Amino acid sequence: MRALNTNIRCRLVVLLLLAGCACLAPCLAYAADEEGELDAVAHTADGVYLDFAPFGAVELPRIFLRKDPWGVDVFSSTRSALLSERYVIEHEEDGHAEVLHGEALHAAIEHHEHLYAKPQPVLGSMVLDLSVTRHLVFGLLAALITVAVFVTLAQRYRRHEDRVSAPRGLFQNMFEGLIVFVRDEIARPCIGPKYEQFTPFLLTAFTFILCCNLMGLVPYAGAATSNISITFTLAAFSFVVGQRRGTRAYWRHMFWAPGIPLPVKCLLAPIELVSLIAKHFALAVRLFANMMSGSLLILSLIGIIFTINMLFGSLTATFVAPLGIAFTLFISFIKIAVAFIHAFVFTLLSAIFFGMAVEEHHEDETHAEEQPALAG
Amino acid sequence: MDIIVAQSLLEPNAGLIVYKVIVFALLLFLLRRFAWKPIVSALGEREETIDTSIRKAERALEEARKTGEKNEEARRAAEENARRVMQEARAAAERVRTEELEKTRARIRQMQEQAQAEIEREKQRALEELRDEVAGLAIRTAEHILEETLDTDRQRKLVDRFIQQLPRN
Repeated sequence: MRALNTNIRCRLVVLLLLAGCACLAPCLAYAADEEGELDAVAHTADGVYLDFAPFGAVELPRIFLRKDPWGVDVFSSTRSALLSERYVIEHEEDGHAEVLHGEALHAAIEHHEHLYAKPQPVLGSMVLDLSVTRHLVFGLLAALITVAVFVTLAQRYRRHEDRVSAPRGLFQNMFEGLIVFVRDEIARPCIGPKYEQFTPFLLTAFTFILCCNLMGLVPYAGAATSNISITFTLAAFSFVVGQRRGTRAYWRHMFWAPGIPLPVKCLLAPIELVSLIAKHFALAVRLFANMMSGSLLILSLIGIIFTINMLFGSLTATFVAPLGIAFTLFISFIKIAVAFIHAFVFTLLSAIFFGMAVEEHHEDETHAEEQPALAG
Repeated sequence: MDIIVAQSLLEPNAGLIVYKVIVFALLLFLLRRFAWKPIVSALGEREETIDTSIRKAERALEEARKTGEKNEEARRAAEENARRVMQEARAAAERVRTEELEKTRARIRQMQEQAQAEIEREKQRALEELRDEVAGLAIRTAEHILEETLDTDRQRKLVDRFIQQLPRN
């Protein structure tokens, strides 16, 4: 009887979700721009604006560092940068670039095309584009949330009796669980006895990446980790934190491994160096690609509805829409799992690299390995 | 879209990297200082407390078990002792009883022997007296019979011989 009830309830939930999806479908039409196209790449990629469609977009401040003459230019938005006429965008026509100005510039701004262009200074040349981007804003937001959550959590351990008593409440249990998980399931088994010096980095990386990943599921927000610059930075931090504490034995085994003939040694050293860098490069690309692909996939699934609308008309699209939305819902659930899994994977692999760097090699081990070879 | 597209998915953005380095370094510092240090130390402290509590409880349990064992042992020893004492008492009582019986028996036997001896003595005395009486009587009788024929000495000798011939009892 109870099983039947549960079954009915499950079906009801699914039906309600599908109905909700069907109702949502028309609203999503706003996500597409005026031409009826949905540019999934532009939505997934970084940008100098915050998209609040259908309520419009907010342009973010632009900061440029230029040389000849050296200087920093700050504008409240791309629009004001271009209208000041100190920065221009180029327009490709008949194979050569042409500067946009006057009517054409206004038309480009009208169509928000200026947001996708790369402004160039009229005077001197660009050194660094320090503009605030969408992913920076999301990353900052994620950092703020992380700090807010964990500094608040730290307040729970002020009094001595709270330090030794069991955690109370959802908040403390949930986040303490994360911390204990990182410490006991990632740091301790992967690094070994020296795990304590790496725990702050691993905890920071895990919580920050997790927060970023989960923000990818929030409407109007996005995952900062779906930007390769950000994952590169994270991987670079992991590299520096780990290699800085590399033991002498670790470096010796990497560049001058004992018990190997000299020519092989010379061959192995560059391979080891490349593999070390490749490992951290892979760390960055893995996180970036996984987070980006989720976002691309969802936008593509929604995009199918509009593609079908254009190809087969609105009636077919109306029938396809619930299906597309259901798939999107399914992918969203998977994205929740992926958010956790990739925060975990990044932290775990970082911990494994730290473990390799601080591991104490024993000279006799290599000799023991050599003995049978010599006997043979 | 004919404007040169600046954002691409795979192109790293140097400016963003600069910002991110600063932000992440700051985040690392802030969290390490204000979150991880107090939290992780508190967790360690709690684990230590739990650990010592468990160890203490285990020790107490062990002690209780030992005390219980000791008590049980003491109880068993006391029981054993009581049984032995009782057995000893019973044996002693039995011994005393037997001794008393023996003594009583011995006394009875002694008394019997004394009585026997007394009786014997009395009998001897009575016999002696009887013999004297009989002798006197006989003498007197014989005197009466033989007053004329025999002198006193001869008579006495005759009587004595006669008495000698009499059975002892």
